[in-house]
Amino acid sequence: MVAELSLVEAVRLAHDRAMAEDQTVLVLGEDVGVNGGVFRATDGLLERFGPERVFDTPLSESLLTGLALGLGAQGFRPIVEFQFMGFIYPAIDQVVNHVGRLRHRTQGRLTCPIVIRAPFGGGIHAPEHHSESTEAMFAHIPGIRVVIPSSPARAYGLLLASIRDPDPVVFLEPKRIYRGPKEDVTDDGKVLPLDRCFVVRGGNDLTLVSWGAMMKETLAAADTLADQGVSAEVIDVATLKPLDVDTVIASVNRTGRCVIVHEAALTAGFGAEIAARLADRALVELIAPVRRVTGYDTVMPLLKLESYYMPSEARILDAAREVLEYA
Amino acid sequence: MVPGGNESKIVASFEIDFTRLLDIDGSLCGPLPDFAQDQTTLIGLYRDMVLTRAFDAKAVALQRTGRLGTYAPSLGQEAVSVGLGAAMAPEDVLLCTYREQGAQLRRGVTMVEILRYWGGDESGSDYAGPREDFPICVPVGTHGPHATGVALAFKLRREPRVAVCAMGDGATSKGDVYEAMNLAGVWQLPVVFVVANNEWAISVPRARQTACETLAQKAIGAGFPGHQVDGNDVIAVYHVMWDALERARAGNGPTLVEALTYRLSDHTTVDDATRYRDDAEVSARWKLEPISRLRRYLIAAGFWTKEDEDRLLSEVGREVEVAVEAYLATPLRPPASMFDHLYADLPAPLAEQRTEVEGYGGG
Amino acid sequence: MTTFHLPDLGEGLQEAEIIAWHVDTGDHVVVDQPLVSVETEKAVVEIPSPQAGRIARIKAEVGDIVKIGAALVIFEETANADAGTVVGTIPTHDQTAKTSAPAVATKRGRVKAALAVRQLAQRLGVDLSAVSPSGPDGAVTKADVERAADTIKKFGPLEPLRGVRRAMAQNMEKAHAEVVPATVTDEADLGAWPQGNDATMRLIRAVVAGCRDEPALNAWYFGLDQGRQLHSHVDLGIAMDTEEGLFVPVLRNVGERDASDLRRGLEAMKRDVLNRSVPLEELRGQTITLSNFGMFGGRHAALVVLPPQVAILGAGRIQDRVLAVDGEPLVRPVLPLSLTFDHRAVMGGEATRFLAAVIADLQRPE
Repeated sequence: MVAELSLVEAVRLAHDRAMAEDQTVLVLGEDVGVNGGVFRATDGLLERFGPERVFDTPLSESLLTGLALGLGAQGFRPIVEFQFMGFIYPAIDQVVNHVGRLRHRTQGRLTCPIVIRAPFGGGIHAPEHHSESTEAMFAHIPGIRVVIPSSPARAYGLLLASIRDPDPVVFLEPKRIYRGPKEDVTDDGKVLPLDRCFVVRGGNDLTLVSWGAMMKETLAAADTLADQGVSAEVIDVATLKPLDVDTVIASVNRTGRCVIVHEAALTAGFGAEIAARLADRALVELIAPVRRVTGYDTVMPLLKLESYYMPSEARILDAAREVLEYA
Repeated sequence: MVPGGNESKIVASFEIDFTRLLDIDGSLCGPLPDFAQDQTTLIGLYRDMVLTRAFDAKAVALQRTGRLGTYAPSLGQEAVSVGLGAAMAPEDVLLCTYREQGAQLRRGVTMVEILRYWGGDESGSDYAGPREDFPICVPVGTHGPHATGVALAFKLRREPRVAVCAMGDGATSKGDVYEAMNLAGVWQLPVVFVVANNEWAISVPRARQTACETLAQKAIGAGFPGHQVDGNDVIAVYHVMWDALERARAGNGPTLVEALTYRLSDHTTVDDATRYRDDAEVSARWKLEPISRLRRYLIAAGFWTKEDEDRLLSEVGREVEVAVEAYLATPLRPPASMFDHLYADLPAPLAEQRTEVEGYGGG
Repeated sequence: MTTFHLPDLGEGLQEAEIIAWHVDTGDHVVVDQPLVSVETEKAVVEIPSPQAGRIARIKAEVGDIVKIGAALVIFEETANADAGTVVGTIPTHDQTAKTSAPAVATKRGRVKAALAVRQLAQRLGVDLSAVSPSGPDGAVTKADVERAADTIKKFGPLEPLRGVRRAMAQNMEKAHAEVVPATVTDEADLGAWPQGNDATMRLIRAVVAGCRDEPALNAWYFGLDQGRQLHSHVDLGIAMDTEEGLFVPVLRNVGERDASDLRRGLEAMKRDVLNRSVPLEELRGQTITLSNFGMFGGRHAALVVLPPQVAILGAGRIQDRVLAVDGEPLVRPVLPLSLTFDHRAVMGGEATRFLAAVIADLQRPE
């Protein structure tokens, strides 16, 4: 069954599919039941699967994570929704101290097959605290996966894979592209591979690396470059952790030039990790320095100045030109 | 609920009861519950407390001689942990802290496993016995939410099992604990929260921890009953725990049991409690300690003789020695094993790191 | 240190067997804390501690039969050393950390080039230090290397310029880019000179005379700021060709020094240049330069003005020529002179007047 879906609709579809196939899959979160989630990601699930599969929880992110861990240790597969990444931070204690550790500290006796989902990122003219992009914090934690879809089809396939994975996944959904663009999504229950980057577009002159909503601007920049006779390869990282750096390296080995684009702030952003690995493994092939086009090391401004913070197609093109003309 | 009528009135009040069955001198001061009529059961409780204390002392000695890492002794609190561990059913799940050794040992965690854990080997948390019990929780109170998850699993599966969340007085100040209790109350989860109030959170005395008169009444704020019990009276602890467990098992929701006891040791083997508390206070509390109290009762009731004591001490001493030897003989795991059990299958980038560690320290 | 002895247990008993110890060496115990369980005829008895303190030594073992009054435990009085933590062990260090002097960075004369460029240069057999960099920050680019490789293929390997020659190439390029040169030539009739006149000294004096008459040529011009500095004294650069390359050491304040002083200075300067021992300071700060190229040959020349100077006087080879003197053809020694000036800062009239003054001074007998 194929339908043209938005990213959040694809997320909802993946929930539906997973819950129908596996009775141990549960959904927990604030407003996920009766209200179907503030972004409608869990719309209709309560009606379909009932109050012993879908739970409207009290307001406490730390509790939610620990609750999910306890359920996971007992053999359930809970999917926990956090309403916004900006409110996820009380959960970091549970994620660092317990979720990422449970399997390791019990030597496999107890495990934590949970998915933590949250909408993240800016660009929707939201009030304060609702535009966070701190995926690098999670990428630093051992024992978990960090997965970020950039399209409806990838959201479906990657979320299904995350739910079925026996280890904890932090699944961050770029809310700026929640409702569009839409894409054909086949409800076939097929997963997309985790731990793998996707080469979304082939090219020989330059490697553009990004994830999440910034894929939109990155692909637009690639289009503009193509008009100028430059063929840019575009890579969607998708799983930040564990990072499939081999795909990026194979690309840079051919192009010799790399620009990384992320919305998150520059310092210690995940682009730094990729750049460091390229310096480690692709130094002989690099013709120009690895450039990062990112948000700034400032508090994300409110809507008036938001567009100056977010990396734009123009900034990506500037960086591309820099590395192309470097040597 | 808006009360009817125009006048102001009391709309809620609460009561907290305190239970003690064995007086300080070992004499009965309340009706003996059924289980305690059984001599074997009582002797079993006594034996487990003696074993817990002997093991504890040995662990401290090992730390002092550099053969164990930092260790948290449970001296003086044996009745709380043995009592709660004994009252639990094997199919219940325990989530406890680093001071419930007695409960863990009672439930089938071995002394070797506990020593391995504190000795710095993760295999110590891979309990061969109670497979679903949680490893001890170090960040205080963060296991409260875990207990609600376990309890919810039981409820969803319609299983007559209970999650027991054991914590200290300090933990009751933690947000996670309030959040967990709140959820347990509103969702009527089968969980028993046990607060071992030993009056000290490292150097912070109980009076500085909260303005509440009792810790048991924190349950009122979460909408379920709280009870206080003399934590050094193992019979009372067992009795109150049993009722709370049965209540949860029957689907009637959570309970909080506050067990009053005293931490007769330092917080850990590296803490020095003389820095913040008076030796005289500790001496006074030795008079209330749980093991001699039950012993007096057993002797007075004719259940326990000098020969029994002699034999028990020797047996227990030997058991502890055997465990220590087994612990000390545990082979060092290969360094690369730190990558085992990180994920179900080690992802490729980590496989490289594993190889690197193998190169430095051997596979 | 105090010793605790096995107390009288009553019932006329003289001894007891140690069944179990409840404390260990190093433990801190308080009053009434059970130390040990001993067995008597009647019971197993817990012996409480008589004092608070730290167990220094345990004097009896499990299984020992201990007499009443025998030593059981030795207490030490000293307080516990503060471990400074509640978990783990934090080491203390015996020595205070020595502060070391910060390392002084030494500059390395490395060529800047990305790794891929270096590898290419190696592959093509190009010496990176001989390649003119065109990349950002003075880095050698791939194109630079390829160009150099091309040249080598066509013409053989380049001899890379080093040291003074290299500096000359760079300085001349820079001068050419900035300066707007114009040259006026003339000649001086040296017929009035007595025998043995030191030509260099006369030239130096003549330059001073020129500068006095037309100070505009003894100045610095800064193109970026479009401003000039006239100098009251003359620091004369003397151009010297050596095997190593072109040097222009400075004779300071030539206007106020007498001839013998100047001569001595000049000799010392020549020596230092040949020994490569001229201090850097003495190669800087020329307000005007004299090039006595005539020593080797040549008559007139358009020379190179090195900014921020605005003038350079060139003296060609002195040769006998036939001149018209008072209407009569006469053989006279003639010194050809060339004055190149920076036309941004110096007018033609100023230059010719300068030259006239120089010639007038040269044509005097002394």
